[in-house]
Amino acid sequence: MWHIAKREIYNNLNSLRFALATVLLLGLMLTNAVVHLREYPERVQQYRERVSGHQNHIAAHAESSLYDLAQQGPGDLYKKPSDLRFCAEGGETFMADRAVGGYHRWSTGTLKSFWILTYPSATPNRDNVRPEVTKVDWGFIIGYVLSLVALLFTFDSISGERERGTLRLTLANPIPRHTVLIGKFLGAFISVSIPFILAVLVNLLVISTSSTVYLDAEAWGRLGIIFFVAVLYTCLFLAFGLLVSARVQRSAVSLVILLLVWVVFVVFMPSTLVSIAGRSTSSGPTYDLWERSSKLHGELRRDYSPRRHKEPEGTTKRMEMDGAYVTEDAEQQEQLHEERLNQRIAEVHRARAITRISPVTIVQNLIESFAGTGFERHLQFLENVQTYAREFRTFIVDTDNADPESLHIFGVRMGMSQEPVSPEAVPKFEDTLNLSKDFNTAAMELLLLTLFVLVLLSGAYLAFVRVEV
Amino acid sequence: MLKTLIGRELLDNLMTFRFAAATFIMLLLVVANTFVLIIDYERRLTGHNDAVKMHQRQLQEKITYSAGLDRLSADRPPNPLSIFNVGFDKRLGNEVQVSHGVVPSLWDGYMHGSSNPFMDMFASMDIVFIFEVILSLFALLFAYDAFAGEYEAGTLRLVLTHPIGRSKILVAKYMSAMLCLIVPLLISLLLAIILLTTSTAISLNSDDFLRIGGIILTSVAYLSVFYLIGLLISAATRRTSTALMLSMFVWGFLVLVYPNVILTVIPRSEAPDALRTSAFNRIESIWDTFDRERKHYLATDDFPGEDWGYELRGWGSRSAYFWDNPRTLMYTYNSIMDFEGFGEEDEPKMPHAQKHFGFLGAQTINAAGRTWLIRKPALEEIFIQPANVERVWLKLSPVGLYDAATQAWAGTDLLGIRDFFHAARQYRQSVINYLYDHKVFESRQWFAGDKGAADWSGLPQFSFQRDDISTNAKRALPDVCLLLMINVVLFIVIFLIFVKTEV
Repeated sequence: MWHIAKREIYNNLNSLRFALATVLLLGLMLTNAVVHLREYPERVQQYRERVSGHQNHIAAHAESSLYDLAQQGPGDLYKKPSDLRFCAEGGETFMADRAVGGYHRWSTGTLKSFWILTYPSATPNRDNVRPEVTKVDWGFIIGYVLSLVALLFTFDSISGERERGTLRLTLANPIPRHTVLIGKFLGAFISVSIPFILAVLVNLLVISTSSTVYLDAEAWGRLGIIFFVAVLYTCLFLAFGLLVSARVQRSAVSLVILLLVWVVFVVFMPSTLVSIAGRSTSSGPTYDLWERSSKLHGELRRDYSPRRHKEPEGTTKRMEMDGAYVTEDAEQQEQLHEERLNQRIAEVHRARAITRISPVTIVQNLIESFAGTGFERHLQFLENVQTYAREFRTFIVDTDNADPESLHIFGVRMGMSQEPVSPEAVPKFEDTLNLSKDFNTAAMELLLLTLFVLVLLSGAYLAFVRVEV
Repeated sequence: MLKTLIGRELLDNLMTFRFAAATFIMLLLVVANTFVLIIDYERRLTGHNDAVKMHQRQLQEKITYSAGLDRLSADRPPNPLSIFNVGFDKRLGNEVQVSHGVVPSLWDGYMHGSSNPFMDMFASMDIVFIFEVILSLFALLFAYDAFAGEYEAGTLRLVLTHPIGRSKILVAKYMSAMLCLIVPLLISLLLAIILLTTSTAISLNSDDFLRIGGIILTSVAYLSVFYLIGLLISAATRRTSTALMLSMFVWGFLVLVYPNVILTVIPRSEAPDALRTSAFNRIESIWDTFDRERKHYLATDDFPGEDWGYELRGWGSRSAYFWDNPRTLMYTYNSIMDFEGFGEEDEPKMPHAQKHFGFLGAQTINAAGRTWLIRKPALEEIFIQPANVERVWLKLSPVGLYDAATQAWAGTDLLGIRDFFHAARQYRQSVINYLYDHKVFESRQWFAGDKGAADWSGLPQFSFQRDDISTNAKRALPDVCLLLMINVVLFIVIFLIFVKTEV
């Protein structure tokens, strides 16, 4: 078996396709590294500035009074950029890099609206007149280029030998067929891996030696997993190539079939399926939300207004009424925004579930999850934000309860603690990534990919065993 | 003789598996995608119609001209030919505010539509993209063994023993393969057009059919380029396996790699910041002058006090603000007064206020016009020129040329979208003329709706007609010609190689 693999490798190493694949992969990976080094420092710098802005915002309001802090909210909460964005761009430009914790909605007299958590949508430049291109990330290189290379290495591995007659010769020797197949698979696998590993190493070398990028142990672990995913994906296409090559008499036909299947599954399937899945969008346009929001608020105001004005200004009862009005309004509005967000997320989930038929989407999703970019990451960010919002509100309640002079009426200035809060005590938002959680969301796709590989490998085995030479 | 040769080649190609596969895959992809694209177009059209209705409603609700003009906007309908090549149709703003204080441009547009911004992260594809990928692949698959295969089989030697010119063999091969390749292209396009015509939302006029004709012509030229590239490789390498491998890598490079990598490799050409700053400073000074004159007027007119609202105490709202955006060099002044009624004591102030708003309106229009004179060339230099440089880089690959040419035919290229903003500027001019003609600025309805509300029925309506086919042709032809030129050059090179080779 090892003998066969070695023969295959020697054969491949001397071939034109090996040279071309090496050049192509190296060039792409190098480009990827250079572009990442150009963009990364700027992104990190921007994030740092924004985080300090968030902390200043909290400090400014905390020093004024607890009411101010409770009314203004924590301000903008920013998503931490991933260190591994060069692995997968993940449509980051289409997802917002922040959630807004508090904006001014209304005020009547001394009463002011309380902060709510809202989720702005990303604003890709609508005035960007530059041509649009796909970012060359690892996802692209692995998903498109590596898979094509894998097919080009295997399309003639069996049918080619049959055409030349060497297959008959090999099988005349006392070697079981599965050994031949495994040998061929290993040979092709190693010959594809060599240029890929070389390219990956060059890429990581360039990135890690730069002084601006620091990759910690977890990042390397993630890179390892991504590499494993890439290997699995390559195996998928190698197995598929062997399968078709074993079934088809002529290598030219084999290549035509392989290329067509590749084009359909890799290039077209993902976006066509998404368009089919995404055509039933239920959440209305943005102005719809504003109309619903103002309607909801209007109803609440009409409901409370007469009752509030019955009580004279300054009494506890009036304050309680005012507080109830403000808090209920904030709850309602926040719920409105959250419902809408969930609706949108559900739509994307539906669309993504369908595209899992295509192996390239599975791989890109996997790389995204482990690189800490993309949609799953965005959901994690949103979850972090919501957890933080709860923490922040609990903090306000606790601090207010700790002040004996406070009337403990939320939503009204006079009803809450008048003491300034120490800025250090206020919880700060920190966006974190969690590898085990990523693993959890990715497990299904990882298993699906493995399943595909196994099915195709056994398919190739069956095809080869039954084939007549 | 040529006929016999073509016949033989044609038969050879038609009876192959690759021909059947090509036709089948093309049909499948084009039909499935057209179906999806039509639904997408219908959705965008509904979004557009809703937006137009909403803008109308918002306008009608306003009882004063100053509040209404703040809501006046022009909407760009989706282009039905975006099904062929979407270009910028979905990306750039499809709605722009038309107010007397700003000359609208592409950089002031914004977007209605996409109800779920997350969905934008999934790439959408159009028919031209399918052709871009598939047609080139098929062309190479048809070409790689055209010569190399015959060398290996030895039939080329046989053919050349007959008294036939080599050029004839070459022409026969080229013609027959092209005929074979055009068949799936035409069938799939025809099916796509049939699907288009069955949709009730899409109405194509004769110009649109000519545009589609242009797209087909360009597609054929593109197809031919890739076939000739394959033929060149085949003639140069002499071995089918080498030719095939080389073709596939060339395809991967030209179609997958080059269009996506080139823009990140070349240094980004950015207009210098100094340019933006100096233009913005000049614009700022225009509005400073405007503000000075405005204050001067308020200080020197017959009415005491400098309040721009003339201390009117009525029921309603008033706001006035300067609005600027240094990034897009936007600067404007807006004053909105929206009153439903006044008290007795306000009546004597009315003539003064009316005169002031008449003055202010004319001044604002004047300042906006002067701003535009600075803004237009500056925007051109800051945004358009770097983008054009990148576009030229993309056109170094036939894929880029094909994309650019079909965009131009479909009218979804940058120029096509800019036509809309040009129309919006013309519309603004006609609105201003209407306002002047009816002395709207000096009227009471400018700021108050108590004595008769603003009359919106006479206001000119916005409508956007895409330019006629000659404009599209003018924009597309340079790229089409380049494609044809590549064809001719490749053909000559192949001919030279083929003539010189020994069999």
